[in-house]
Amino acid sequence: MGPLGRETWAQRLGTFRASPSAFMAGPEGEDLGRDLLSDLRSEKLSEPMKVALLALSLEYPDQLWPDAPAAEAAATSLLDTLVLLPPRPSALRRPLLLAATTALAAGGALNPASGASGRLLPLLLGLASGRDLGRSFCPASEQRPLQATAWECLRELESCRPGLLGGCLGLLRALLGREGPAQPLSLLLALALRNALVIQARAGAGLQGLLTAGESSMEGGPWNWMLAEEGEVHLQPQAPSWPAAEEDECGLAALELSPEEARELRATVAQLLDASYLLTPVAQAQLLWLLGWALRGLRGQPPVLFKPQLVRLLGTAQLTLLHAMLALKAAFGEALFTAQDEALLLRRLTLAAQHPALPLPTHLFYLHCLLNFPENWPLGPTGEEAAPLLLGSQLCRGLLPSLLHEPMALLARLHLLCLLCVEDEEKEGKGQDRSPRHYLEELLAGLRQRAALDGGPRALATLCFQASYLVAHCLAGQPVVLIPLTQGLAQLYRARPALAPHFVDLLDHVGPELQEPLRVALRQEVASRPGREEALRWHLQMLASVADGDAQSATLSFLRAAAAHCTDWGLQQALLRVCRALLRAGVGGGLADLLQELARQLEDPDGQDHARLYYILLAHLAGPKLGVALGPSLAAPALASSLVAENQGFAAALMVQEAPAPIRLSVGPRRAEGAVPVLRLQVEVLEPVYSLELRFRVEGQLYAPLGAVHVPCLCPGRPTRPLLLPLQPRRPAPARLAVRALYSTPSGLTCHAHLPPLLVAFADLFLPFPQPPEGAQLDFFEELWDSCLPKGTESRLWCPLGPEGLEALVSRHLEPFVVVAQPRCTFFPARSRLTGPRRWGASSPQPSVWVVTD
Amino acid sequence: MAQRAVWLISHESGTPLGGIVKFSRRYPTVEKRAKVFNGASYVPVPEDGPFLKALLFELRLLDDEKDFLESRDSCSHINKTSIYGVPVGGEELWPVVAFLKNGMIYACVPLVEQTLSPRPPLISISGISQGFELLFGVQDFLSSGQKTDSELNTKLSQLSDLLLQTCPFGTLLDANLQNSLDSINSASVTHLQKQPAWKTGTYKGKPQVSISITEKVNSMQYDKQEIADTWQVVGVVTCKCDLEGSMPNVTISLSLPTNGSPLQDILVHPCVTSLDSAILTSSSIDAMDDSAFSGPYKFPLTPPLESFNLCYYTSQVPVPPILGFYQVKEEEVQLKITVNLKLHESVKNSFEFCEAHIPFYNRGPITHVEYKASFGQLEVFREKSLLVWIIGQKFPKSMEISLSGTITFGAKNHEKQPFDQICIGGTAYLKLHFRILDYTLTGCYVDQHSVQVFASGKPKISTYRKLISSDYYIWNSKAPAPVTYGSLLLLDLSFLQSPLPQLKKKQLHFKGIPIPEA
Repeated sequence: MGPLGRETWAQRLGTFRASPSAFMAGPEGEDLGRDLLSDLRSEKLSEPMKVALLALSLEYPDQLWPDAPAAEAAATSLLDTLVLLPPRPSALRRPLLLAATTALAAGGALNPASGASGRLLPLLLGLASGRDLGRSFCPASEQRPLQATAWECLRELESCRPGLLGGCLGLLRALLGREGPAQPLSLLLALALRNALVIQARAGAGLQGLLTAGESSMEGGPWNWMLAEEGEVHLQPQAPSWPAAEEDECGLAALELSPEEARELRATVAQLLDASYLLTPVAQAQLLWLLGWALRGLRGQPPVLFKPQLVRLLGTAQLTLLHAMLALKAAFGEALFTAQDEALLLRRLTLAAQHPALPLPTHLFYLHCLLNFPENWPLGPTGEEAAPLLLGSQLCRGLLPSLLHEPMALLARLHLLCLLCVEDEEKEGKGQDRSPRHYLEELLAGLRQRAALDGGPRALATLCFQASYLVAHCLAGQPVVLIPLTQGLAQLYRARPALAPHFVDLLDHVGPELQEPLRVALRQEVASRPGREEALRWHLQMLASVADGDAQSATLSFLRAAAAHCTDWGLQQALLRVCRALLRAGVGGGLADLLQELARQLEDPDGQDHARLYYILLAHLAGPKLGVALGPSLAAPALASSLVAENQGFAAALMVQEAPAPIRLSVGPRRAEGAVPVLRLQVEVLEPVYSLELRFRVEGQLYAPLGAVHVPCLCPGRPTRPLLLPLQPRRPAPARLAVRALYSTPSGLTCHAHLPPLLVAFADLFLPFPQPPEGAQLDFFEELWDSCLPKGTESRLWCPLGPEGLEALVSRHLEPFVVVAQPRCTFFPARSRLTGPRRWGASSPQPSVWVVTD
Repeated sequence: MAQRAVWLISHESGTPLGGIVKFSRRYPTVEKRAKVFNGASYVPVPEDGPFLKALLFELRLLDDEKDFLESRDSCSHINKTSIYGVPVGGEELWPVVAFLKNGMIYACVPLVEQTLSPRPPLISISGISQGFELLFGVQDFLSSGQKTDSELNTKLSQLSDLLLQTCPFGTLLDANLQNSLDSINSASVTHLQKQPAWKTGTYKGKPQVSISITEKVNSMQYDKQEIADTWQVVGVVTCKCDLEGSMPNVTISLSLPTNGSPLQDILVHPCVTSLDSAILTSSSIDAMDDSAFSGPYKFPLTPPLESFNLCYYTSQVPVPPILGFYQVKEEEVQLKITVNLKLHESVKNSFEFCEAHIPFYNRGPITHVEYKASFGQLEVFREKSLLVWIIGQKFPKSMEISLSGTITFGAKNHEKQPFDQICIGGTAYLKLHFRILDYTLTGCYVDQHSVQVFASGKPKISTYRKLISSDYYIWNSKAPAPVTYGSLLLLDLSFLQSPLPQLKKKQLHFKGIPIPEA
């Protein structure tokens, strides 16, 4: 196919960008990558269009070239295109370099075996270091921009393949001292240094002269992949320079640096920091993060090197710089920030979190930083938001919420206020009128007032409930806050019952400290209403959530009054949902009457049916079972439809469920128990099991039918007596017993489970034999033998044996009955006594066996 | 510290999707790292369509607010920063940095170089601040000078090229996009030794330095016993240094007159090379005393080429420039209002403009107004339920003006009349808008002779000053009004130490009690 026209490409790009996956699934998807590469060399397409094609390849290389070979081929083609460009200025060189880099790095094709990598890396390093690549490569005017681009490409490759430029550290250092752009070089050096330190620390090696290797180290010869190969194995989450991270995660403490290496390292870091003012603020911040990462935990590298930079940075409004300072603070703590420095940093952060010249997102982020401030000596538990110790209420004054704030700012500041209230509570006996707590109460009242506004936006209501939730969460232990909060919320409900869904949601999420009193207050609030308001729908929804066994009569009389006004299906269902909640809560007497009334009174047949069903359930099921039957469905917890959920809930509760067995059975040691052989079963349970019935079955007519075993209750971890299963063998043969269990769970469900089969050994079918006195076994056996003979019969038989021989056969099946080991004499205590073998030739393949039976 | 993707979305409420993706850029090499670093908790960056929908929902920008939706309205779904978890395809993409500014949503997804479960604290993710800076940079670029839609579209079309310069692989190199645009346009600039990355070229021409100080004053006035009025000045000093040489050194000093109000909370531009510790520590957080540092505030710096904000500051002046008093009385269908305004004698009585906007929220349209103004004219915007009292360029000699009137409203129509969540019941405010040129409330100025420039040639130095009102509210003293913690606390202190005699004076004044001359 010839090259596509400009229009066609513009249209294709548009369609692709609208939905890349849809495009790739379409008929044109397959060819896109190939067409793009070939049309880059077409003379018909304009440069801007080619730039657009390259821009696409920068964003979607995975779609265009989905595997490593394709990415490798694409990178090769892009490099060919680059080399073939005529030596006049062109807008394509930069994007071609970027595209080749992206294709290799994103496509996973960056490795020593890749030809394209072997071409791209020296090209980039040559461009970056300003080496002469020959006039033909690019005109002089493009050299500077290409140089900067080459540095960026190298940095990206180093990011994706740590250690790739480990061999160039010496060269990079040497270049930093010369003229040329400082920023890309500084950033690359810092990154490569950090990666080299991490890789070498893992390998337990030093820097091995990497920093001092001269410029010649990378010239000529193939690319040095050694460090990158090490790094590849360990490409893993970078150790964040944050105290919450594991101390040894970055593992730099293992790095052994010689004094000379340590000096070189220090000199390099100092060189980087000294030139850092030449970098843009965002790049300065990156440099600080990288160097902080590099030096954290490294022995013999005091962080004082950073100190000269800090005062300059502390004064700026730049988000990235202050953030990088906090990272250094977290990484080095007291080694870099004295207590006074810490206080100053905290003050600057507090100031920045409220400075009117900064935008809201910045304020909010600084507030987050305040509550996660890396203190030198943190008190509370790590990982929890808390106000730093040095942040007193005086400092916080400007950070407290007011109704005028945006919702997010209000919530963030409210959180801080709550933390202050916690502290305030700890400092007892202040008795101030204007305590943070009073302010909190006023603020919450203001929020409720706004939420109560009829027709107001839902966001206002949501904000009010979020604030209430936050307060209940932070100040759960302070009744002095929760009591007015509960009252206020009850008032809010009175003013605007339409907020019922918010109340239900709040009740679902808060802890019992607020949940319990609020539930009571809301129930009273609803029950005190006449049941015929416009808001009946909301009252019923509310009541379904808060109704329980308490104050039954008020609730029932409200429902009775409401029933007359429940004229449509929706209201009737809402009413029945309340009844259902009461059923679950175990409300009895009055409810039965109400349900009967409803079954007669409701107009809608569906409502009548439900009322009747509930009545029947109430009359026939015991409390716990009823609770489960009406509780949230176990069978379909994710299904939102209440109708389906209800049906499945019943089905689940009232039918026997197939379940994986929480029971383990095993055969225990034998012991004489009465006149028949008895299996002693050991039973273990993983969860409590009630009314357990174990049923056993054996194939064929080997034994008489086996009875079931019943156990009232079994609990995990509690010792249990063995269960006894008497066997009546009809034919003495080993067998597998199929076992089924029927039991109830603590939640009231009845379950049925198949257990793994039990193996009944041959030996299990005989009564255990009392041990004869020590030393007298042989005589004992002979007497026994002889005592059988007068009445019984003696026989002798020869039988073929498998390769195991008689010894193994006896020890496998008859071991418990062996009276004398040599010569082997065994006694079977069965209904018909049986003894033998008496004698046999040990080496004979067909031993003779004497048997005597009575 | 890299970004996985960036989006610009115009928020268009009322359209089926609620918005349009105006620009998006993905960084596949960063995405590849995300896959490794995040491990099992990795969630891929979605396509534009699903992302748009999910983000608008998360930001509550879809119009559908009628019903309670747990995933949006649940009380436990609390966001305290502009960083969101956006549900996409059953998983949650986190962290998404996003904010809405002037109808445009700016969003990006920073790379987190560790596992996401449990979520690491935001403070430990370097990409968060980098992401913010990128978005702020884009926002500055789009909003600078842009007025019309076509200008905006031009800028949006330049964005792809600009990000190729400043953020080629997702790691931001310079948040100042305009800089990069200039450097594209002047590609032949030769980089000298030690050329800073934030300065894309050198200036050739007549040396000149221009410095302008803009102060904004905000205020909350209540005229109540139990609540103290508050006001604050926020200043910004903007500079443009056209100087030859690659790194000229300049020192700019801000000075105060003897009775000037000390500058506090000073934040400086990163080009400032060193800072006096007195500047660093002077802050509004501390209780004020006479020993507060009052300048001169010296800023040694190496200026960038473009215009930049040298520093921001705040200041607590002793009195608000205009004292106000506003009373609203509801009488059946009518409202009776009384407004008194008094310009403080120390303030320059020469305005570029001065207006008082008196809105009436949560009511119907204005049907009838009867009023008496001692000065200026009143404009009535009936449909908007708004009165604008145009005071003009000067207060009269007495420095005091008043307005009283009776306003009648028609039936409330939710669609047309403005809703306000604050002005419920009797709560109401008037807002002052004014501007005074060549004046600062703190007295802060730049002495031309104090500007030191270490560069070839003697530059022309020009300085400008102006005062603008911003959020200058006077609340109805007959009804509750929203307060800040500060205004409660301030009053507590005032009982103890009486540091604000002006406050009491004002209260006496408006209650018609003659103020004894000091």
